[in-house]
Amino acid sequence: MIISVNWLKKFTHIDGTVDELATLIGARLVEIEGVEDLGAKYKDVIVAKVVESAPMEGSDHLNIAKIDDGGVRQGVERDEQGLIQVVCGAPNVRAGLLVAWLPPESIVPETFNAAEQFVLGAKPLRGVMSNGMLASARELDLYDDHDGIIEVDKDAAPGTSFAELYELNDYLLDIENKSLTHRPDAFGVIGFAREVAGIQGLPFQTPDWLNVLEATVENDGTGEAPHIKIEDPTLSDRFQAIVLSGINETAKSPIQMQTYLARSGVRPINASVDVSNYLMLLTGQPSHTYDYDKVRAVAGDDFTIRVRLAKEGEKLVLLDGKEVELDTSDIVIAAGETAIGLAGIMGGHNTIVDASTKTVLFEAATFDLYHMRSSQMRHGIFSEAVTRFTKGIPAPLSSPVVLEAVRMLQEYTGARATSPVVEDYPGVRQPITVTVSEKHINAVLGTHFSAEDIAELLGNVGFNVTFNGLEAVVTVPYWRQDIHIAEDIIEEVGRLAGFDTINLTLPRRDFTAVRPSDFDKLRSEVRRSLVRAGANEVLTYSFVHGDILKKAGQVPDNAYRVVNSISPDLQYYRQSITPSLLSHVFPNVKAGYETFALFEANKVHQKVDGATDEQVPVERDSIALVTTHAKAKGAAYYDAKRMLEYAVNSLGIVLMYRPLDGESDATYAPFEPKRSALVIDSKTQAILGIVGEYKKSVQKAFKLPEYTAGFEINPRELLASVKMVGIQYQPLSRYPGSERDVCFQVGQDVTYQDVVTPAEKTLAETGLITTLSPVDIYQPEDGTTKNITVRIGLISYEKTMTNEEVAAVVDKVIEAVTGATEGRVV
Amino acid sequence: MSTYDVEGVKQSLLERVASSSSPREVLKATEIRELYGAIGSLPPEERGAFGKQVNDVKVAVEAAIEAREAELESAEVEPLDITAPWDVNTQPPHLLPTQDGTQHPLTKELDNVVDIFTRMGFEAIESRQIDDDHHMFGALNFPEDHPARDGYDTFRTEEGFIPPAHTSTMQHRILKDGKAKLEAGGQIAAISYGRVFRNEDVDATHEHTFYQCEGVFVSKDATLGQMLGTLRSFFETYYGQALRIKTQPGYFPFVEPGLEFAIEKPASIGGKPGEWLEMLGCGMIHPNVLKEAGIDPTQYRGFAWGGGVERLVMLKYGIEDLRHFESAKLAFLRKFAS
Repeated sequence: MIISVNWLKKFTHIDGTVDELATLIGARLVEIEGVEDLGAKYKDVIVAKVVESAPMEGSDHLNIAKIDDGGVRQGVERDEQGLIQVVCGAPNVRAGLLVAWLPPESIVPETFNAAEQFVLGAKPLRGVMSNGMLASARELDLYDDHDGIIEVDKDAAPGTSFAELYELNDYLLDIENKSLTHRPDAFGVIGFAREVAGIQGLPFQTPDWLNVLEATVENDGTGEAPHIKIEDPTLSDRFQAIVLSGINETAKSPIQMQTYLARSGVRPINASVDVSNYLMLLTGQPSHTYDYDKVRAVAGDDFTIRVRLAKEGEKLVLLDGKEVELDTSDIVIAAGETAIGLAGIMGGHNTIVDASTKTVLFEAATFDLYHMRSSQMRHGIFSEAVTRFTKGIPAPLSSPVVLEAVRMLQEYTGARATSPVVEDYPGVRQPITVTVSEKHINAVLGTHFSAEDIAELLGNVGFNVTFNGLEAVVTVPYWRQDIHIAEDIIEEVGRLAGFDTINLTLPRRDFTAVRPSDFDKLRSEVRRSLVRAGANEVLTYSFVHGDILKKAGQVPDNAYRVVNSISPDLQYYRQSITPSLLSHVFPNVKAGYETFALFEANKVHQKVDGATDEQVPVERDSIALVTTHAKAKGAAYYDAKRMLEYAVNSLGIVLMYRPLDGESDATYAPFEPKRSALVIDSKTQAILGIVGEYKKSVQKAFKLPEYTAGFEINPRELLASVKMVGIQYQPLSRYPGSERDVCFQVGQDVTYQDVVTPAEKTLAETGLITTLSPVDIYQPEDGTTKNITVRIGLISYEKTMTNEEVAAVVDKVIEAVTGATEGRVV
Repeated sequence: MSTYDVEGVKQSLLERVASSSSPREVLKATEIRELYGAIGSLPPEERGAFGKQVNDVKVAVEAAIEAREAELESAEVEPLDITAPWDVNTQPPHLLPTQDGTQHPLTKELDNVVDIFTRMGFEAIESRQIDDDHHMFGALNFPEDHPARDGYDTFRTEEGFIPPAHTSTMQHRILKDGKAKLEAGGQIAAISYGRVFRNEDVDATHEHTFYQCEGVFVSKDATLGQMLGTLRSFFETYYGQALRIKTQPGYFPFVEPGLEFAIEKPASIGGKPGEWLEMLGCGMIHPNVLKEAGIDPTQYRGFAWGGGVERLVMLKYGIEDLRHFESAKLAFLRKFAS
């Protein structure tokens, strides 16, 4: 919304510069997105008098005008009388006319904000010198007018600044509408000015006409007014109308008024439309005019204007000629039974006002904001009027607006009231009163306002404050329907006085320390470990395209589907993180990265997980990693496993691996069962997640390098295990230890774990400090056996072990392993 | 009745699929063509039912083909010893070079923010990523159909769940959970942080997915002055210098009064006096929000605030494009090696 500072100044005093004003408004009323210096645009425009005008020889439309600029412009070519020659193509140029002259070297206002400004010169036109130009309304950036040059309609001496004459030495404030959704009053210049007065600590003087809330109009009674019927009081609080006759629909409004419309972003049309828009900009109250005779014709025998919901299948051709299908929640205005307008949004074509209209029905009404909002969205019509209706226009406002409209229309169009104001007003409301104590106000804000301060701040903007002891009884003006409770009053007091004037303190608190949650700590720990392991943490979207699910082998039915996304990439909630990571492998390989690992810790959602006690979907935490080498061959599985172990071993977790045996979880879907394993905490046997390589189809779909693997684990499960296990400390021994390497030859199907399990079991029974670590795994090319070499470390708490004692333990281990695996030692 | 043995054809096709090494070929079988061909030769009243039968055959065969293809694909795969530390005849696997590893700049900054607030006495709770209308709007004093809801551009799921558009979606829970503590003479002091979603087009300064951090404080005597003091204190700790702040009225249905909060751009990130950074929205918790959580607004008062995290990160490093955050581009991520 654009607010003119000069317009504000007609209603309130303004201290200081425009920058100071903008800062103050920003701090106490609403964000200002920009300030435009309108005066700069018109600084060179001069009011001049056409002294003579004669058709140019050899041209069918050009005239040579001699103008008098009062001699104010320097450096222009003049004749002996001091007049300036300008060639003009407008049909209405004539001697005696006061015009707006754009002298040489001035910028045409229409192009002032364009990428390329048009700077005028003194140039011959068909061999005749023209010094600048005489401007049309369009060139002055006021409105589209093809009738010729603008005819200055105020008394002014030649040489007067055009900007000064029409109050265009102005600043325009660009207001951020969003933060005023709850303030219909501020959508009018007068309401805005009231606030500007209030935040400056000045009392606001409401114009007298706006205080007249009884709509009594002198009229000759020759126009028969319709009966008004709001069929459902929830649709409209009030609907007022009046018949005006003798209107001249081609009359123009004064240029002064037109400039105020234009600078506020509303195009002047003719006096009748301009008055309606002008009053809307001033007060926030939109209005509409119907051709009275057409309304009567549509109404037939039943001359009743009805406000009702649209009927099933009802259609209406709007003013712009488009036919709309109405929804049964659209409010329509009907004459008799027939719709003549989509309430608050656009009138109907069947009652359109045109140049031949002589009598009009003028309407000012208010409509339910929620209906307005949904109709606006449904029909995609966004006008200045409906913007205001969606904020909720207060019903009492329509009376003064009707009266002022009648006055202005009479002045500018010759219309006269021929009926009284008729209305239906089911939404009469008692004024709201709110009781709040001075103590409460100060306690919430942390301030020290006195009762008088409070009364003055509120009184400045139209609240009536009386005191009942220490309790302030605040009567809310009708235009502040947003004020209901004590807190609303507290906000007004704080805002009008300035929140920036409040003393800053800190809450009083005790010294109890707060620690990050165990889960947050664990996740940070894992994150740091993976970073140390050389992996890169990523964040990827929670929503994925259906194709990603498909590529990863996941079923869309298990994913929450987003129904209103503006992008097809955001179709489904992801069921696990792995597919998102996989989709980012190839782009990075393509960008030249050969070896890397990506990981992400985030939340995922699967429908099978059901709902919480609050009836919202269960969320799963997840940490996933993918590691790749664009050129390597072999089993990437072991790289992923190594990284996983690195990350969790420092938490005291020892992992075990179990083949996938038909377990189905969307998380496992992309993994190849033959080259993947369930990740098990060896102490609690809890399944923590999965590690492995991906299915061939998945590799192909995501264009993964052959050497790619990863894991996805549930950190909540991991936390549960960490809490159960923790770091297991074994006291150190004072004695040195011994190590022995043993190589077992076993069948090719015997796993490493098959060797380790009996060995560890045997070692555990020795009462020694023991370690068992892999040294080598060898399989001859054609062999049916493989050699697994492990290193056994032994330390006694009691003594330095002899060779014989060490050998005895190792022999026991060998016996256990060969017994369990049917292998032998080589 | 037709004389076609549809069931028999189906069984025969399924058997062929199960034993085929190129199962997709079965779809070209003449039997299928014949079945489809037969539809037209039937009396019109039988065509519907028969057509459905034929279609069921096709669906069953296609499902069998997919299963068989997966089986074939898997059959070619060499199993490996999942328990071994490395593959046969290879060396122990190495981790990647530590200097290449990076934490995402956003989670790093979030850690930093959470760390300061926990030290100030605020519990940290991660925000949900899918929620309902009640927590997102209803419990926060947004009446149904209220225009203020428009500003949030929320996504919706089929079931009517909402990917939260602000971390305030946790506020009602924090208040409910803290009620007992409050009534035992304590205070509620918590932050919720996490991912939020807005249904908008993505460009250098707009994302549909971003992170917020929200704070809630309730006590017997909370004031707006305390709120502004707390926020300034946070930013002064965060930037390690004294800061000027300013506010402007803001409208959020869940606070009253509601404000927007700005700090003067700190010198440490290249700020000059008079340059302001809008940081967050804040205000005194609306009595309806307290009431909704069972807290008596005549006994207790509170304040709340919420702001974006990406902005802090972008200002800190001078990041030019919001889209980098969720791009998973190593070219971006590896700039943040520590």
